[in-house]
Amino acid sequence: MMDSQRLLEQVESTATVLQVIRRSDGYLHVSIGSQDLLSCLIRARTETGFLVLQLISVVDRIEDGKFQLTYILENPDDSSILILSALFPREGCTVPTLSEIWPAAETFERELHEMYGIDFPGNDRQDEEFILEGWKDKPPMRRDFDTLEYSIRMFGERWPRNHHDPRQFIGERVGEWETPMSGEEGS
Amino acid sequence: MDDMSSMYCNCKPEAPRSQLKAWAKVDELARANSLWVTAYGTGCGAIELRPLHTSRFDMERFGIAMRPTPRQADVLIVSGYLSVKTLKRVIRVYEQMQDPKYIVALGSCTINGGMYYDSYNTLNVLDRYLPVDVYIMGCMPRPEAIIDGFGLLMEKIKAGRADGWEHYRENLEWYRDNQKKVIPKWDLPDYNW
Repeated sequence: MMDSQRLLEQVESTATVLQVIRRSDGYLHVSIGSQDLLSCLIRARTETGFLVLQLISVVDRIEDGKFQLTYILENPDDSSILILSALFPREGCTVPTLSEIWPAAETFERELHEMYGIDFPGNDRQDEEFILEGWKDKPPMRRDFDTLEYSIRMFGERWPRNHHDPRQFIGERVGEWETPMSGEEGS
Repeated sequence: MDDMSSMYCNCKPEAPRSQLKAWAKVDELARANSLWVTAYGTGCGAIELRPLHTSRFDMERFGIAMRPTPRQADVLIVSGYLSVKTLKRVIRVYEQMQDPKYIVALGSCTINGGMYYDSYNTLNVLDRYLPVDVYIMGCMPRPEAIIDGFGLLMEKIKAGRADGWEHYRENLEWYRDNQKKVIPKWDLPDYNW
């Protein structure tokens, strides 16, 4: 299993490492500059033997105006894991495609394009429908998409419902609740 | 769709012929005691149907059995949340079933959206899109609750009140409007019978 220090040195040789998020034996999670992402991923595949792209995931950091893309790579020979994170600007987000390097990336990128509206120039299939059928609104997993408002507009208000405070509701039915905590709360 | 047009009806189904009242009673008794269910799970509630038709709860003792095709079935169980994408398939399945047919809706999600009330992709109230005969509440309802719901459905059938399928046929335009409103990519034939 590859030592995380050696992994880190190899990553540092191609990219500027901004932060080491987590490391242990055979496991390294770093955040790197977005301009170095593609070269770092290619190097990890061709030279270090990280042949498997397990996942591409996105976190919508709306407060910073960024999308955080995370790539999880695995080396099948010794099962070591390398995770690379990079921040991209949120508006008009454009990320280089990996579909030439890992064919599996094409599917991940289709999903991210549909759910977050991230553009992957060079991925020919990104405009095909992935999960949603005939979706016309804003991509639904972006955090500025108001799902409740959409749900009410599209599917209508649900039936009115009564809310009960469980303590009061059950207390009325079976007598007052007596719990060990009730004295400490002073209620 | 042109090459598939011969596979579908091009008109609404006709109303059933009127029959003798006494004979209708016999029919209802027979229907109530042999409910055949389409084996089609739409959501997480399908998990609760496995113990129901295996030996522990054994719903075959009530004459309820699973069928592999909608053509042979009387009951469609909408088990849990229904996404927009699944609704399209459920409409196809429901309309291909033979009359008379009943819908049992499981779980809070079919009643008012349940825990997915603010989801962009799941329906809130199933009754706007398909005629529900019996709702079984819970998240998820236990197998005992489902058996209880089927008991209610049997009583409704025996009393001649389980007429959701007639209501659906008579108000097809209203249901179609609602269905087309939520399904943006409507590529079904007009009549799936």
